[in-house]
Amino acid sequence: MAQLSMPEEARRAAEVIRRADIVIGIPSYNNARTIGHVVRAASAGLAKYFPQLTAVIINSDGGSTDGTREAVLSARVDDGHLMLLSTPMLAAHRLSFPYHGVPGKGSAFRLVFQMAEQLDAKACAVVDSDLRSITPEWIDLLIRPVLFAGFDFVAPYYHRHKYDGTITNSIVYPLTRMLYGVAVRQPIGGEFGVSARLVKRYLERKDWETDVARFGIDIWLTTIAIAEGFRVCQSFLGAKLHDAKDPGSDLSAMLTQVTGSVFALMQEYAPIWRRWKGSVPAELFGFRFDVGLDPIQVNVERMLDAFRRGCHELGDVWKLALDPPTLSAVRALAAGLPEDGARFHLNDELWTDAVLQFAYAYRTHPLARGTILRSLTPLYLARVASFVRETENLVAAEVEEKIESLCLTFEERKPELIARWNGESVPEGAGRPHRNGQDQHPAGKAKLEVTND
Amino acid sequence: MIEVLRKVLEGAVDRLHHQITTYLPPLLAALALIAVAWAIALLARWIVYRIFKGLAIDKFLRQSGVAFLVDPSGRLRATRIVGETVYWGIVLTGFLLGVNVFDTDLTSQMVQSFVFLLPKLMVAGLILLGGAWLGYYLGRSMLVWAVNENLPSPRRLAVVVRVLIIFVAVVAAADQLNFARTVFLAAFIILVGGVVLAGSLAVGLSASGVRQLLEARPRASGESEERSLWSHL
Repeated sequence: MAQLSMPEEARRAAEVIRRADIVIGIPSYNNARTIGHVVRAASAGLAKYFPQLTAVIINSDGGSTDGTREAVLSARVDDGHLMLLSTPMLAAHRLSFPYHGVPGKGSAFRLVFQMAEQLDAKACAVVDSDLRSITPEWIDLLIRPVLFAGFDFVAPYYHRHKYDGTITNSIVYPLTRMLYGVAVRQPIGGEFGVSARLVKRYLERKDWETDVARFGIDIWLTTIAIAEGFRVCQSFLGAKLHDAKDPGSDLSAMLTQVTGSVFALMQEYAPIWRRWKGSVPAELFGFRFDVGLDPIQVNVERMLDAFRRGCHELGDVWKLALDPPTLSAVRALAAGLPEDGARFHLNDELWTDAVLQFAYAYRTHPLARGTILRSLTPLYLARVASFVRETENLVAAEVEEKIESLCLTFEERKPELIARWNGESVPEGAGRPHRNGQDQHPAGKAKLEVTND
Repeated sequence: MIEVLRKVLEGAVDRLHHQITTYLPPLLAALALIAVAWAIALLARWIVYRIFKGLAIDKFLRQSGVAFLVDPSGRLRATRIVGETVYWGIVLTGFLLGVNVFDTDLTSQMVQSFVFLLPKLMVAGLILLGGAWLGYYLGRSMLVWAVNENLPSPRRLAVVVRVLIIFVAVVAAADQLNFARTVFLAAFIILVGGVVLAGSLAVGLSASGVRQLLEARPRASGESEERSLWSHL
């Protein structure tokens, strides 16, 4: 596979600067509206919180045509170095766009990490270029735990609307937490702080050109940090407000890329996650405060229509992934679905079993992975619809309890997943008929156990 | 009269004797060969079963996902496939050797034809199998895509894709066997031409309608309003 080395312009720039204690990376693609603010916030954060340290801000651009570079240049950064680089991408990669983030985001991160290593930086942070809510404090919160508390990886922790980040809440967070035993609330947040030690480890990896690193760079960074035993913490950054997403972006493709990345990493780290039982929360830095959030409108009826249609048409595909009891329960759910979708409920147990069985099918059907992952879309929409219905009248804390309950259900199901993965018979209780009622698991306290097998 | 009758009977006995001495030994040899081949086939199948079970090949293939490539339901067992292939391969070889023992023009021609045809049959079989699998795979992909895109009649679209691919495989297999190749080729050209013409007419006649549909789609589904603030990630 073709490998990308550090571009000449970056090498020359690194030779001129020679050394920097902190590197801030900002990957971008057509973010002229917001990137100026992001650069100014990063620069102000460095000046305010780390005046004694040398720092460099690197904008790695994926070929913007809307004046993003000009916006960066006009941000008037007073102190430190500002570097504008083009994201090195293979020709083929320029034609394939991720459905979230910027094209070549993985390559941009790699360039930032290469620069950080070249400049012998002690800490590195990356922030999205479409942020509207970034403040100078974000830089402090992402960098300080690395520089002064010995952490290797700082994940963001935001306040989000209860309907925002539904893939994170219903799949990525519970699954990552269940697998690796560390509760990182926003594993695909987009803003991260990284130590020199972890930067070195990322650069040693050989999978930078794979789909996982290209399309799922956020979960790739988080998973490696947790699974390989680096010290991980979270920083509370307030609210995350960013530029409106492209309304035409394809949910199915986005879901495929994100879940595909999680499932692919799950295969690689199977020997590690099979050892963990339960979970512990990652340490949280920063002062937590309440913030106002924009309201979000969701169309539940349309989601349920998609679910009905999926149940009607995709039974044969779901058979590849779902066990007969799970498939029967899903079909029964669709059959009993009232016209208006009122009181629709896809319980935690059924959803957890479905996700874990899809994860296993990803492993056992290598040539049908794309089809299987795409067929998850109607089920995912059903889960979101159920979640929206259940949480209509709940406040943020109560919604968090619901998500906590889902996470505990995932953790409860882990022995079944391990047995399935090992090719053993699934333990008693698995494949049980699903009752579609109240979730069985009350929100409880998380704990972590390690088994030596 | 008696002398004539005696000669006739002697002639018949001589011919019978001649035929028996000519054909019985090869027949016995052929039967013996077939019996030996059958015994070897049974033994070989037993050994293959033992080896595959001992090495847990089926479990390995299931866990690695290779088993699902052949049969998506995962029920097919490699042990059985390989065992039966070895068994029938040896039985067939024994049968051909047995037939060849007679050393007549007819039997030689039969064996020769079979030997020459066998590779072609195998290639044609593989083409059909590959086509069936590809048709199934792409049909399923089309089905999922059509459902997620909310297109009308997703199952029909999937069936069309599947039938087209299988038909291409049949044309290729017929060409390989040199069997009614012009008929199949003509049917294939007519089919592809018809599909292209229908597609062109559909797009040409309703280009403005398609454009309007594409432009109106996000708004009609409430997508832009919904996604403006809603991030799935």
